[in-house]
Amino acid sequence: MDFMQIVSPAFFILLVTGVLGGIVFGAIPGMTATMAVAVFLPVTYAFEIKEALALLIGLYVGGISGGLVPAILLNIPGTPSSITTTFDGYPMAQRGEGATALRIGVTASLFGGLVSFLILALFAPLLADVAIQFSYVEKFLLILFALTVIAALSKGSMLVGLTSGTLGILISLVGTYSISVGGNGKLRLVPSILAPILKNGFSLLPVLIGLFAIATMIREVETGMKNPSFDDVDLTKKARFDWRLWKEQIGNLIRSSFIGTFVGMLPGVGGSAASILSYSQAKNYSKKKDAMGTGEPTGLIASEAANNGLTGGALIPLLSLGIPGDSTTAVLIGAFTLQGVQVGPLFIGNHPETWKGILTALFFANLVMFVVMFFSIRGLAKIVRVPKYILYPIIVVMCVIGAYATNYGVMFDIWTLLVFGIIGYVGVKFGLEVPPFIIGFILGKSAETYFVKSLESYGTFAIFFTKSPIVVVLWGLILLSVVLSIRNSRRLRVKTKRR
Amino acid sequence: MKAMKRKYLVGLLIVLLGLALVGCLNESAAKDSNALAAMSLVERAELLIPTPNVRVVIGSTSTGGDTYQVSNMVAQKLGEVLGKNVKVDAVGASNGFDAINRIDDGSTIMIFHDMAYLGYLYEREGYTDIFSSYQVGPTLAINPGNSFSAPKNSAFSTIEDVIEAVGNGEVVKIAIQPGGVSEIGYSAAKNAIKMQYPGMEENLVAVHTGSQSDKNQLLFDGQVDVIHSSIQANEQFAQLPMDDQKAMKFIWLTARQETILQTNDSGFGSMNIGDMLAYVSPQVSVPMNEEEDFTFDKEFFMLFHKEMDEELVKLYNDAAAEVFADEVLVQQLKDAFFIPNYKDISDAQTYLTEKVAAYDAIISSLKE
Repeated sequence: MDFMQIVSPAFFILLVTGVLGGIVFGAIPGMTATMAVAVFLPVTYAFEIKEALALLIGLYVGGISGGLVPAILLNIPGTPSSITTTFDGYPMAQRGEGATALRIGVTASLFGGLVSFLILALFAPLLADVAIQFSYVEKFLLILFALTVIAALSKGSMLVGLTSGTLGILISLVGTYSISVGGNGKLRLVPSILAPILKNGFSLLPVLIGLFAIATMIREVETGMKNPSFDDVDLTKKARFDWRLWKEQIGNLIRSSFIGTFVGMLPGVGGSAASILSYSQAKNYSKKKDAMGTGEPTGLIASEAANNGLTGGALIPLLSLGIPGDSTTAVLIGAFTLQGVQVGPLFIGNHPETWKGILTALFFANLVMFVVMFFSIRGLAKIVRVPKYILYPIIVVMCVIGAYATNYGVMFDIWTLLVFGIIGYVGVKFGLEVPPFIIGFILGKSAETYFVKSLESYGTFAIFFTKSPIVVVLWGLILLSVVLSIRNSRRLRVKTKRR
Repeated sequence: MKAMKRKYLVGLLIVLLGLALVGCLNESAAKDSNALAAMSLVERAELLIPTPNVRVVIGSTSTGGDTYQVSNMVAQKLGEVLGKNVKVDAVGASNGFDAINRIDDGSTIMIFHDMAYLGYLYEREGYTDIFSSYQVGPTLAINPGNSFSAPKNSAFSTIEDVIEAVGNGEVVKIAIQPGGVSEIGYSAAKNAIKMQYPGMEENLVAVHTGSQSDKNQLLFDGQVDVIHSSIQANEQFAQLPMDDQKAMKFIWLTARQETILQTNDSGFGSMNIGDMLAYVSPQVSVPMNEEEDFTFDKEFFMLFHKEMDEELVKLYNDAAAEVFADEVLVQQLKDAFFIPNYKDISDAQTYLTEKVAAYDAIISSLKE
């Protein structure tokens, strides 16, 4: 009876609309789940709270999931959290396994989404109490842990990878040390002549799609836009569902879903960190470490299970503390305020109907996402057969629109897109490694804020080692990750020499 | 034949130019103040604003915060009143100021709160004197929830206890976001300590942080004694039992007593008006000078391009008056725990000038 009261036809129609709209947003380079929720937020004013949340949660799940399509087929992450999807998804598509990669990605997304749903439904208030044990210090170390993936991702020399990552961190810090994060509001790393232009620094999305989309297209133009694997190979012929793969990957799937949910529930750590962390752990524990980054399903599964695991995780602090877990739930909180519903530690007890509505929406959003995406894979995979002279102009237009929309219409973001497109193209020729660079860029700002705030709050470096047992565990994980990365790198070098 | 065609063409051109000239004359006549005064707001908007869309940029990037909430409610009604599609963009302070500096045709306006001038008083990058850099428009509403909180088991019952403790040599840490609404409360407390216990004000230490969640986290970690808070964001934490790590209590509401008296009879959450009044002046006193207590109403108002046409400014002024004449909107604002506070441009400028002068005096006194 309760269930039937929640799932009214309007609820379900809005949910499906949201998922479809979200997938479209997520699949367009430069458009994100956050943007999708922000665009539809004012519309929700006209609905009941449960219906409004059905639409927005549908957009959230659809938006996060849709990002895998361009990441796999075009090497363009549809959303920041699908960066690591490109590492193995795109090489698979290049081998003519685009449809297989999409099926793996969509299935991993469903699994991650459902695990996070279960965790949210069963443990939300309890985990909120765990989340508040993570202060600035623990969050800094968690970001540092995620940054260790830079070492793991370096394809050539580890030194080049680390340099690229450091460069990414430095560029993320350009601009004002914002007072909105407790900074002093002063400019840094900006020559005074460029201060009016660079005062707000570079936004993530234009940098991301510049480095991936624009740079990739320039490279393709250079080689005559011909790629035999796209033009000649039937992408759907190997696209059967392989149960054996899932049997092998169950550990990776569960671990990645938990990492996604866990990172999601820590406010301020950021959605991209979830998939980055998950990818690095998948690499550390994989039996085929050397194959990661060359089209190995392990990496794809890790990335997609984690970024969908994030959805339920980010709702935990929102609904248990009134604190959004990521940028999308920060917009989602607007739906509650617009409807006059207070979210905080008493929300679940005070609004059981709305709580049930949210859980129902999250569960069905994942199912609808899976059905819609799984059964449209054959069609989606054909995108790569579209001649590039038709496809690329469309992508450029979408990238420019996406960049311009990042900060609601700032022309500088389009210049950023172009400049980082050129940097991505030229930099690679000079040895720049794009994945470590972008990971450094994504995590740099949070790392700085949490590092500085830790020191400001506690006044001693020792706090990074003595704050709590969590700190000790995190240092253990960081060291393990670094040691494994160095060992893998050496092993790979020896193998290459032997060859 | 060719000569005939040319003649016709020239004749046609002259007629077209004549019509265009008449059109221009009509437009300039229409833009005449008297003619405009006779028109409806929709007609004036049609004539004066060149685009079908009006963009309201706000000084916050959050779509879950009070600035977005107020702006969205006002924008929807403003759209009806002007016959335009009015859309709120949460671009943040810097991009918002840039947008209204760039566009003077009335198609982009800004809604922001006291941080617009507090950022300047605190000498923050990107903030300038609002009275000389922009045209200050009508005030719209007040958020009465600006507050300070302490852990539920804290020895401080009100901010007066904090002032006394600091005056007696105890170091008290307060988490604030620098350069704005949360810092002015901190400065006021520091100023009060300086007045009552000269030389001891340095014992009140600001811990600079960002969002409300960061401030809460510092309190949960025991890194600060007091945080800047709001009734809306922190009221549920005040209901938690004492043994909960997250439990808090309010120790100061900065709003004026008359502002709190205008809130909904039902109050907010578990707090009724009586509960709120226990934390505002004069029940809780933070002296600003010899005569009066410090109070602070978080006020939302419009800002326009410095050179925006006088008729456009008048249009927005009149439109805002029409918006706030709507009882449904007024009730909507009250239901969302805001106090509708429309003041026309002239009154708003006087009111905000006085507000700026009072807070400037506090900030300046702490620099001495």
